[in-house]
Amino acid sequence: MNRRLRAWGALAVLSLAFAGAPAVRAAEKKILRAAASFAYGSLDTHKQYYGWYTSIYGITESLFRMGDDAALQPWLAESSSVDAAGLTWTITLKKDVRFSNGKPLTAEMAVRNLLRAAEVNARCAQLKDFRIETTGGRTFTITTPKPYPTLLNDLAGTELGMLDLDDTKDFDNAPVATGPFVIEKFVPEGDVTVRRSPDYWGGPVALDGAVFYYMQDDDSKLLAMQNGELDCYNSVSTSALEVYRRSPDRYRIVSIPGMRLQFYILNEKRLAPAVRKAINLTVDKKAIAAFLAGTVSPAVGPFGVDTAYGKAVIPACDAQKAREALEGDGYVRNARGIYEKDGKPLTVEICYYAARSLDTLATLIAEQLKNVGIASTLRVEEDADSTYIARADFDLGLYCMIADKAGDPYNFIKATLREGGYYNVGGFKNEECQKMVERLQYEPDAAVRAELANKIVQIAVDDNAFGYVGLFNKTTVLRAGVSGFAENNPFDFYGISAVTDKK
Amino acid sequence: MAKYIAKRLAQLAPILFGLTFLVFALLSLSPGDPALKRLSLHGAGVSREELELTRERMGLNRPFLVRYGLWLRDALRGDLGVSYRDGRPVAPKLRGAAGCTAALASASLLLSLLISVPLGILTAVKRGSVPDAAIRCAAFVGNAMPNFLISVLLMYLLCIRVRLFPVIARGSLQGLTLPVLAVAIPLSSRFVRQIRAEVLEQLSCGWVTGMRSRGVRERFILFANVLHNAAGPILTIIGLSVGTLLGGSVVVESIFRWPGLGKLAMDAIRARDYPVIQGFVLLTAVFYVGINLLTDIAYHLLDPRIGLD
Repeated sequence: MNRRLRAWGALAVLSLAFAGAPAVRAAEKKILRAAASFAYGSLDTHKQYYGWYTSIYGITESLFRMGDDAALQPWLAESSSVDAAGLTWTITLKKDVRFSNGKPLTAEMAVRNLLRAAEVNARCAQLKDFRIETTGGRTFTITTPKPYPTLLNDLAGTELGMLDLDDTKDFDNAPVATGPFVIEKFVPEGDVTVRRSPDYWGGPVALDGAVFYYMQDDDSKLLAMQNGELDCYNSVSTSALEVYRRSPDRYRIVSIPGMRLQFYILNEKRLAPAVRKAINLTVDKKAIAAFLAGTVSPAVGPFGVDTAYGKAVIPACDAQKAREALEGDGYVRNARGIYEKDGKPLTVEICYYAARSLDTLATLIAEQLKNVGIASTLRVEEDADSTYIARADFDLGLYCMIADKAGDPYNFIKATLREGGYYNVGGFKNEECQKMVERLQYEPDAAVRAELANKIVQIAVDDNAFGYVGLFNKTTVLRAGVSGFAENNPFDFYGISAVTDKK
Repeated sequence: MAKYIAKRLAQLAPILFGLTFLVFALLSLSPGDPALKRLSLHGAGVSREELELTRERMGLNRPFLVRYGLWLRDALRGDLGVSYRDGRPVAPKLRGAAGCTAALASASLLLSLLISVPLGILTAVKRGSVPDAAIRCAAFVGNAMPNFLISVLLMYLLCIRVRLFPVIARGSLQGLTLPVLAVAIPLSSRFVRQIRAEVLEQLSCGWVTGMRSRGVRERFILFANVLHNAAGPILTIIGLSVGTLLGGSVVVESIFRWPGLGKLAMDAIRARDYPVIQGFVLLTAVFYVGINLLTDIAYHLLDPRIGLD
């Protein structure tokens, strides 16, 4: 009886253990196994943010792309030029670009792709205002009503990936595109499996395929990595980083400053200039970055310091000068060590939402402010956009946003510093600045654009309208022997490519 | 019986109407804009023009009552609309997630009962003994441990240390085992304590002493009488747990990548995906009413003295 029971028990355990064997066997081929923190229900490149993911999966490619140095590079396009008026752009496609079904990418198909994206994606709707025409087999023109210097940056958006619109029968599940990989299995809001495109136009593809496991939980990712079930993933948590750092022979960690900016808006309608100045002199970005243990780099301005438009000069953190600013404005310290004026203690309401480490930031800023004599209250909202950003009922409002979406400063400046910008809710207003923002919109010369951007940001910095705290690092962990997972590219929307390899 | 079931099902209609209206109203009143959520999901800046265009396309500029009316009209035709998040129909999404949740819930419940019924009876019968103390202590620990801790511990022990299971498993028996354990451990811990208390209460009744004094065998008293009497309250506990289980366990589902209702609902709430939230509320309301109905019928079948009305 006991023997029979034991036999049944062993059988049960073995059947459980072998149930997952296919996943293990898949590792024998050159299949990259990555974790993805997001998963969507559709692969329709042109809609919403799905293009980010079809790009990460190596399925789609755009006309242009952002390089590791954050500079614009041709991808499916061979060349581009603009006329003297800055209105008509001529774009020529590369000669050999083919879709995974073998058909060539023509200018006519590229135009149709752009028009479709303009129709279905609100973030590409500006293309509707342009005249887009085919002028040859591989050449097309885009004519804008006014100079549009960031057109090529827009065309680098992964939402503008090129699809074979004639042969794609199921946009949600099986887009036919030009990338080095094609969809093998797509589970909506689940795992995605891709295999090498049989005849990739760009040359040999190192991997046989890849699996993107939809995993949100940081602990699960860490355990899967330790168990040898994952080869790489990005957005590594601080606690997992510590574990990986202990085994440098097994794991390679690549951490580079990314494009996501943690910043705060200082409400000019509620805070006096001296208080805003004191706050900005108090917030110690280096201490915050140190506390966040490698996930964030201290920000100098909103953009990376290596960019031509990231040259704003920000006063160094100085508690003594902060106190002097307050005292100069008539504040005196009370018995509790908090500054007060007319018997009213100086209390700042800090609003934040619990994502992108903003909860930690709020606590650290509150502590730093307290050290110089500024009291604070914390208010957390689940949705910043619809609450404190929409109502502007904060003193210090924390936010996290991609500051540099496509190698150009205009989008961020438009959103935060232009009058009427969705995030310009703290009352920042400066005539000279507005004029420069208007000019920046149409200025074609890159050097002049950078100069303008630096001046605009400097005005906001000098006005203490904002505080730029940290740029999120893009942190990727790779198993030894794995490379080419866009780990050196600061943008979030690239992943596997023809050069991604696993040894 | 049929008349009773029909009456209860008829009561479902106003419940569902009231509930969906209330949820729709609360969603509209609460801060959060689905269009804004869609645009700013990955942290890209939003412009007012993009926002307005997206709101228009999503039909969010229409008055609340019009939106609810349209939703109700479609829902009555069996069309729960499409997800704001990805444009996919809500009904198949809910069906898929409900299937996963049902599998997880039923397997967890079965395992919990298999563990807790014998242990609950044993601890009651052997009250004050070492096994009683040990099982109560284990039940206390199991009950006190949060789901995420149990999940991660199970993963660490069974995937990393013993290497019996892979961390990444889904759609297989293996994929189901660890989440079932993670749900069943705290559930059975709770059941053990509750079953013990019910059995003890019955054992302390005068009629048990009377039967013992008449020389009736202990096993007969326990299995034919005590458990029969304790079945009603135990059924209530199980019924309540089933309702909770069907609502889904977000933490366990996230850690084990189990695509159940809890995770679907949480993702929908985060994205302000109103159609999915409405569908979820509708489904869980039907679940709850159904489970309550089944529990009441089971009461009646166990003890016909308890009337259905």
